[in-house]
Amino acid sequence: MTDSKILIIDDDRELGEMLKEFLAPDHLELSARLSGEDGLQALQEESWDLLILDIMLPGMSGIDVLKEIRKSSDIPIIMLTARGDDVDRILGLEFGADDYLSKPFNPRELLARIKAIMRRSRPEEKHGTAIAVGSLELDVRSRRVNAGGESIRLTGTEFELLRCLAESPGKVVPKEQLTQQVLGRRHLPYDRSIDTHVSNVRGKLSSAGVDNPSIRSQRGVGYLLLVDE
Amino acid sequence: MRSLLIRIFASFWSIIVITIIAAAAIGFWYAERTREIMQNFEDSDAVLEASAALSEDGRDGLADWLRSLPGAAESLVFVVDDNGKDLLGRQLPSPVRFSMARASGRDRGRRPPKPDTRNIRPARPFTQLVGPDDRVYTIFVLPARSITTRWLVDRGRGGLVILALLVSAMVSYWLARTISRPVRRFRESANAIAGGNLDTRVAESVGKRRDEIGLLAQDFDRMADELQRAWLQQTELTRNVSHELRSPLARLRVALELARRKTGDLVELDKIDAETERLDELIGRILEYSRLDSDSHEVRSSIALDELLRSVVEDVRYEYGYQGAKASIELEADTECTIDGYPNALRSCVENVIRNAVQHSRDDGDVHVQLSLEDSQAVISVEDQGGGVREHELERIFEPFYRSTARQGEASRQTGGLGLAIASRATALNGGTIAASNAANGLCVEIRLPVAD
Repeated sequence: MTDSKILIIDDDRELGEMLKEFLAPDHLELSARLSGEDGLQALQEESWDLLILDIMLPGMSGIDVLKEIRKSSDIPIIMLTARGDDVDRILGLEFGADDYLSKPFNPRELLARIKAIMRRSRPEEKHGTAIAVGSLELDVRSRRVNAGGESIRLTGTEFELLRCLAESPGKVVPKEQLTQQVLGRRHLPYDRSIDTHVSNVRGKLSSAGVDNPSIRSQRGVGYLLLVDE
Repeated sequence: MRSLLIRIFASFWSIIVITIIAAAAIGFWYAERTREIMQNFEDSDAVLEASAALSEDGRDGLADWLRSLPGAAESLVFVVDDNGKDLLGRQLPSPVRFSMARASGRDRGRRPPKPDTRNIRPARPFTQLVGPDDRVYTIFVLPARSITTRWLVDRGRGGLVILALLVSAMVSYWLARTISRPVRRFRESANAIAGGNLDTRVAESVGKRRDEIGLLAQDFDRMADELQRAWLQQTELTRNVSHELRSPLARLRVALELARRKTGDLVELDKIDAETERLDELIGRILEYSRLDSDSHEVRSSIALDELLRSVVEDVRYEYGYQGAKASIELEADTECTIDGYPNALRSCVENVIRNAVQHSRDDGDVHVQLSLEDSQAVISVEDQGGGVREHELERIFEPFYRSTARQGEASRQTGGLGLAIASRATALNGGTIAASNAANGLCVEIRLPVAD
């Protein structure tokens, strides 16, 4: 098994070094860049499996880096935010980060999230390769979504979310289950990540002109994909 | 006008000068006219004719003469007998009446009557004639009266007072307006700034005045600039401090995990881990508390309180269920009620109060959360079974890091002593009030919020 390449953009050099040591036994090879500009350059020059991006960066902010990356790449991204800073966290998810961790994080938690995202982004072949719901077609192998011949760009997390809902159209999927399947962790109180991802997917579907199926929420329970036959 | 000093000085000065000049001019003009008319009357033979008529036909002759005088265009002639009556029975003007009253008083050796309140100057008698019956007839010649002169003269100096009042009222009103209007703007702006709207400035609304008020407006705005800058710096500082404190914490946690790998699980490492987490939570709360200070970057929106409560209670239940707390939370929120406010601040407020209650409840004690409506106010009450606090501490528990003597221990360490302080600030930010009281078995915290119309 080849090592997965992970890039961390964080101005804390020591943290990067320690994380590198921490992740190495799990076949994760971490490289660090200390600024957004350097990080963007590294992303262009090499290919990476995952990016860890700190939101508080000197110079170009983490959010700006995130926006820049999302213009051209669907690479899985975990944002590092300051705890209690809901605005940053929500902004991060809105601009297409896959997950977030608040700093200072428990490194085991980071490892778990990295593994969850990696597992998900590996092509699975046990399920059927295509799901059709309403005007949507989900190609599970290539992780592509088509609506009437047009392709809709979703991040890995967004695709996974849509797939979870599409596997049982018309049925409410509880948030706990969505968090488990999409983000690979248990749903915690005060966690609105799934809601933000749902609103991102909704936004992308509606700007692609898709109104069938539509994602509905069941307050306090979860979400469902509603299909009009 | 450049200076407020000059403006005020000139206004008062001009009121006084105008009044004095007007009074003098009117008085002078009236005296001059009276003199002129008397002269004309004297130049005519009227008095001789009157004297002749009186000696021939007595009182009736004099009356006939008076009646035969040409219709007075410029003058009025009155003949008054010693009873103080006009021969033609006309109503006497007040200066004449006053003059007569004074003369009769003098005759009887009394002090002249005091001028009446209207401060009327007595008319000067033109001449006196003695009739065959030894009665004295006094002739008065007065200038004919236009409406304004009659108005002025009949009221004596009172007329002048009224004129002065009018002029001074106008000038004073203008002066007061030029001062009070900008002052009102200042008040509005000061209140807006106190209310957290640091963008407020006055110079624009006061206009391009170059007097003291204009300068004050510039100074006011400079002060507001400074305040805003200081506030931004403070916010920035808090953010940076929290970031700077968290970076070593982040390294500490990674180092801890690396140590754990090398040495195996030690109880001490768990403790270090737990304390690190606590420290982080405390930093988070300080940050939250300082953010709630005056400005919220949140957008105001309408919040359904019943839904908010349900979701917060669910989260707290989940959190404490997960931590193994035995206290259960009962929620009574059947009233639908919506308020206008900052959703995150309000959520944090309710959350902190409920967490505080759960942390202080004895193991089997329930926390009772209730939402009700009282006189267009939404009341959220959170009651625990934790024994309450002493009466004199009821207000102080909302101070940051205040530790109640009755509640010290594990629990207050968990909240970092900021939970209720955050709740208090968040309530104030949403225009509400928060208060605590001792209930049967514990503390009851009540949050009151104005309901949206």
